[in-house]
Amino acid sequence: MNAKRADRIATWVFWVLGSITVGILAFIILEVLGRGLTTALNPRFLFGKPEAMTAGGGIFPMIVSTLYLVVLTIIIALPISVGAAIYMAEFARKGRLNNLIRFCLDSLATLPSIVFGLFGLALFVTAFHWSYCLMAGAFTLAILNLPILLRSTEEAIKLVPDTYREASMSLGASRWTTIRQIVIPSAMPGIITATILPIGRIVGESAAIIYTVGVFIRNVPVNPFDTAAPLAGYIWATQAEPGVPDWKSIVNGGAALLLIMVFVIYFLARWAGNRYQKKKLLG
Amino acid sequence: MSARGGGAAGVLRAKAAAFADREYWVRLVMFACAAISILAILVIFVFIFRESLPAIRDVGIGNLFFSTNYNPQTGHYGMLGFIWGTLLTTFGAMVLGAPLGIGTAIFLDQIAPERTARVVRRGIELLAGIPSVVIGWFGLILLVPFLARVTGTAGYGVFAAVLVLVVMALPTITTLSAETLKSLPPELEEASVAMGATRWQTIYKVLLPSAREGLLIAVILGMGRAIGETMAVQMVIGNSRGITFSLFGRTSTLTTRMVTEMAEASGVHRSALFAMALVLLLLAVLLILVIRFVSRERKPAA
Repeated sequence: MNAKRADRIATWVFWVLGSITVGILAFIILEVLGRGLTTALNPRFLFGKPEAMTAGGGIFPMIVSTLYLVVLTIIIALPISVGAAIYMAEFARKGRLNNLIRFCLDSLATLPSIVFGLFGLALFVTAFHWSYCLMAGAFTLAILNLPILLRSTEEAIKLVPDTYREASMSLGASRWTTIRQIVIPSAMPGIITATILPIGRIVGESAAIIYTVGVFIRNVPVNPFDTAAPLAGYIWATQAEPGVPDWKSIVNGGAALLLIMVFVIYFLARWAGNRYQKKKLLG
Repeated sequence: MSARGGGAAGVLRAKAAAFADREYWVRLVMFACAAISILAILVIFVFIFRESLPAIRDVGIGNLFFSTNYNPQTGHYGMLGFIWGTLLTTFGAMVLGAPLGIGTAIFLDQIAPERTARVVRRGIELLAGIPSVVIGWFGLILLVPFLARVTGTAGYGVFAAVLVLVVMALPTITTLSAETLKSLPPELEEASVAMGATRWQTIYKVLLPSAREGLLIAVILGMGRAIGETMAVQMVIGNSRGITFSLFGRTSTLTTRMVTEMAEASGVHRSALFAMALVLLLLAVLLILVIRFVSRERKPAA
């Protein structure tokens, strides 16, 4: 076989591989939306209370649970990530300690989410006697999301040009003043963008929360120590042990809604990222 | 310890100055934030280990980790069958997912026109964000019935799990492989093309060998995702307790067994499930160690 012909065949093969990947994605999205979109956009489903035995239940408390969980998790995880990212970007020197921190972050990032779930169950739910609640899930997810949140925050801080720091320090500002008044404000849009992708992960997470937050509620959770039922976990539980006659339509609608939520978050992240980059170029 | 400070008093004064210094405290707080990652992994390990101790003590290491006899009703908790299930599905997912992911990365880096590549890249990022319950549900209502019709089996089983895992691991493998290819110096490709090599020869003989370690890391991290994936696999693998060597046999992985039984488990049974989490924890750390090793190998060459 001559080289030209091999090249043509290879090109063709790579086009096929690329198309398979795109095809899988398109197929999943179209199927899930096609099956569930009409249910997902039905106001009675969106704003209704779930039923335990009869058909016609909604998922409003589950949507609230998911959003509540997102807010709590970010409140816990963001300050820690920003602090740690500042340390890694501004203070840390290369060495054993730095290596150890990176190693632990990498290990945390590879740890299966069900392991986080069991850990949360053992520590927050059982040892702390919190029982199943939003707070237990939020702490679990905060640890789960720490590595990616830290990494993207650190990148945002590193993107702040060194000339900013030098200018500030040459005016006599201390290291901390420079960080607080120059570095963090300049990195802020990047830090905000950095939180959006973990939010998508929190919305979609199910394995880490079914044994920390809970899988079924009838009323909207108010207190952070209330049992709740984020959407992803509820979908899983509904298909695992169908209790209502219309469980299939609930799962279809819930899956479509979950997909829409994740997509909205993704495009928000893209939009914020683009805006941030444009500002950087102009500024 | 300056010589001028004059002995112990000088040292004390220097320390007092350091304590008064706000910078010192700020630094300490920031370091504490960073050290939370070390603390977290330690606490996770301690708690998972503590919870799995009763099973290790009562059942014994041999009967717990190296036996395939699993039956909570009779007090048998051998998890080897599920370790095998995890390895089998992960291996299958890599056999299909690694060529597809690396192939897509090459397509993005070398072959696709700029605009097509950008759209495909966005699509893959989107795919990475699809929640695992959604992919599992897709597998349950479409893939399983389809496999059942084509193969004449129940549809549930190892192969359905493998296909679901390919979808889950694909974004990781593709994104990281594409990054590796992009980070190669352009001179490599230019030199090869200048010598008269075709695009395929350049890819096959120059780019792939130079990117070897990076691609390996991409596949290992893809494996990490496949090993840890829980919900999507649980929905399609059939959840039987037996070990299987068939592509269409029903079985369980470590993660699916944990999630299926945790709700009604107590005592030694619950502890055995924590022991499975311990195995997964050690596997995750092992994968990171392997990656460290691979990337250290890479450095002298660069």
